[in-house]
Amino acid sequence: MIRLESIQKVYRTQHVETHALGGMSVHVGPGEFISIMGPSGSGKTTLLNVIGLLDTFDGGRYWLDGVDVSRLSDRDMSRIRNQKIGFIFQTFNLIPDLNVFDNVDVPLRYRGLNGRERKRRIEEALEIVGLTSRLRHYPAQLSGGQQQRVAVARALVGHPKLILADEPTGNLDSAMANEILDLLEKINEMGATVVMVTHDAELASRAPRQIHVLDGRLIDFETEERAAPLFNPAHSDSNGLSI
Amino acid sequence: MFLYQVRIAWKSLLRNPVLSILLVAGIAMGIAVASVFVTAYYIFSGNPIPHKSDRLYYVELDSWNPQRAWDEDNPQRAPNQLTYIDTRGIEGSDIPTHQTAMFQANMTVQPKGEDLKPYREDVRMCRGDFFRMFDVPFLYGGPWGASADDAPDPVVVIDAETNRKLFGGENSVGRPLTLDNRNYTIVGVLDDWRPNVKFYDPTQGASGDPEKIFMPFNHVEPLRLTTSGNTNGWKFTAGNQLEDFWASEDTWLQYWVQLDSRAQKEEYKAFLDAYATEQKKLGRFQRPLNNKVLSVMEWLEDQEVVPESSRTMLIIALLFLLVSSVNLIGILLGKFLSRAPEIGVRRALGASRRSVFIQHIVECELVGVLGGILGLGLSVIALKVINRMFENQTPFVLDFNMVAAALFLSLVAGLVAGVYPAWRICRVAPARYLKLQ
Repeated sequence: MIRLESIQKVYRTQHVETHALGGMSVHVGPGEFISIMGPSGSGKTTLLNVIGLLDTFDGGRYWLDGVDVSRLSDRDMSRIRNQKIGFIFQTFNLIPDLNVFDNVDVPLRYRGLNGRERKRRIEEALEIVGLTSRLRHYPAQLSGGQQQRVAVARALVGHPKLILADEPTGNLDSAMANEILDLLEKINEMGATVVMVTHDAELASRAPRQIHVLDGRLIDFETEERAAPLFNPAHSDSNGLSI
Repeated sequence: MFLYQVRIAWKSLLRNPVLSILLVAGIAMGIAVASVFVTAYYIFSGNPIPHKSDRLYYVELDSWNPQRAWDEDNPQRAPNQLTYIDTRGIEGSDIPTHQTAMFQANMTVQPKGEDLKPYREDVRMCRGDFFRMFDVPFLYGGPWGASADDAPDPVVVIDAETNRKLFGGENSVGRPLTLDNRNYTIVGVLDDWRPNVKFYDPTQGASGDPEKIFMPFNHVEPLRLTTSGNTNGWKFTAGNQLEDFWASEDTWLQYWVQLDSRAQKEEYKAFLDAYATEQKKLGRFQRPLNNKVLSVMEWLEDQEVVPESSRTMLIIALLFLLVSSVNLIGILLGKFLSRAPEIGVRRALGASRRSVFIQHIVECELVGVLGGILGLGLSVIALKVINRMFENQTPFVLDFNMVAAALFLSLVAGLVAGVYPAWRICRVAPARYLKLQ
């Protein structure tokens, strides 16, 4: 599903260059559920942004769902984000003056679906997250957990192949966090690939595969059967580790 | 998608009503000022009789001083009025479909009964062709005929306002009207008729009302009339009798002809030149031949009916609107950038830069249209105040074209104000703001 080869990302200011991603290579198969862990500033969000086509990169190549997305126009990247990727953010990022229905509707609007199809999908997505009774509520009228469930519905309403979740439980208590993880697992079981960034080792451990990012480099653990080798010479490059 | 973007824009305006009111008011002020001056310009520059303005011609004959052009700054121009001798000299031509010499006189109206006191009124002396050429609408009766012109018969046409004033608005055709102690029979009552400019005689100002009473031109000699309008002369007139004035080189009459084809126009122009050449033999018309037949719009341009000040004010008004729009750029930029996190979310969910740009342009245009509507309301009030201040002048009224122009200007203003902020917000990198919301 995701194939990153030697991805480099450098933030430049007038005097300083920061290598956020130092030649990172990742391969995530279809239907996988992986978690990305790492300390603050390690580059995990940058990695997620690159995977989500929210940020450009300075070196390397990236294939998403078999398509080389390294050099696409803004329009093409937007189309891919809209059709293939669903995003879940730590701060929910719901639009405050849209109600639940309209928030979930946003990605479908950019896809140009007709009203009947949009309504069907929105109701289906809200059914999955258990919020069909809150259609006309505004974000401010919902609890944090409910807001994040709306965000999950919004992420899956377009039937994406890939769900990217950036600290999806960071603003929630442990009960709510577990609920959201349950939802992510459910979405994963429905066939979507899930990539989740988290600080929480316990939640991360629920993902079958974990990737650790440190200083823009990558360490991968497969939690189910074996620990992945920290260094694989066959796929390595001069700047970082690859798995 | 467009309706969705309008809905988002509307929600965005409601999110910060005070700021939105400020934005709308900024555009509204610009539109109101621009609309007032564009209306003034439009009224002065508009074609007063569009369906036949290319068939109606004003006649100019250059009988002026051989030593000095009538307009020394522009020697090609001929005098803008004719002498009495020349109107009599050319009126015999049978080339025009219709023709009339004319001038404005002033007489005392003596109403019957005791309710109304006698009052002075402007009277247009003209042939019955005046009404046929200029398609003047009649409420009752109609123009007098050629025999009444030639006789001349004691007949008059009055306007609707005079008919209301003197006869309570009833059909007064056939009833008498006393002017300067003589009785005339009313043969026609005009319907309301108010060309945007007094194109048939702008020599005393193009914004005046048409005369309220019309009378056959040939009364000029029996009644011993002279003009109440402008007279221009270049040659000393011997004698101080009215006959001396009529025989002088003083110009004080207007002359219009209707020429329905190019051939008719050329034939008439040749006739005028032949007339002038004939006059040269009599010692008149000593300047090079410079006779003109000017279409309505050429005539209005020649008379500078659109004042230079009106053009200048129009430019200033449009610049005011531009400045109003430019002033809003900063406010819109701040407003849009404060929404960058939301735009980051929309970008993440599939909005392209183009769609973000269009969404914000739609918002600016919504501000523009709301400002335009408010501005139109303000300009209607302003025009009413102006019309009240200048009651006898051409009324400034917003017609459909002006409303359309104002709305167009409001869209342009919205675009001017919004393009840069919309461009800036659509360039925002989505990843940068996603963690800030």
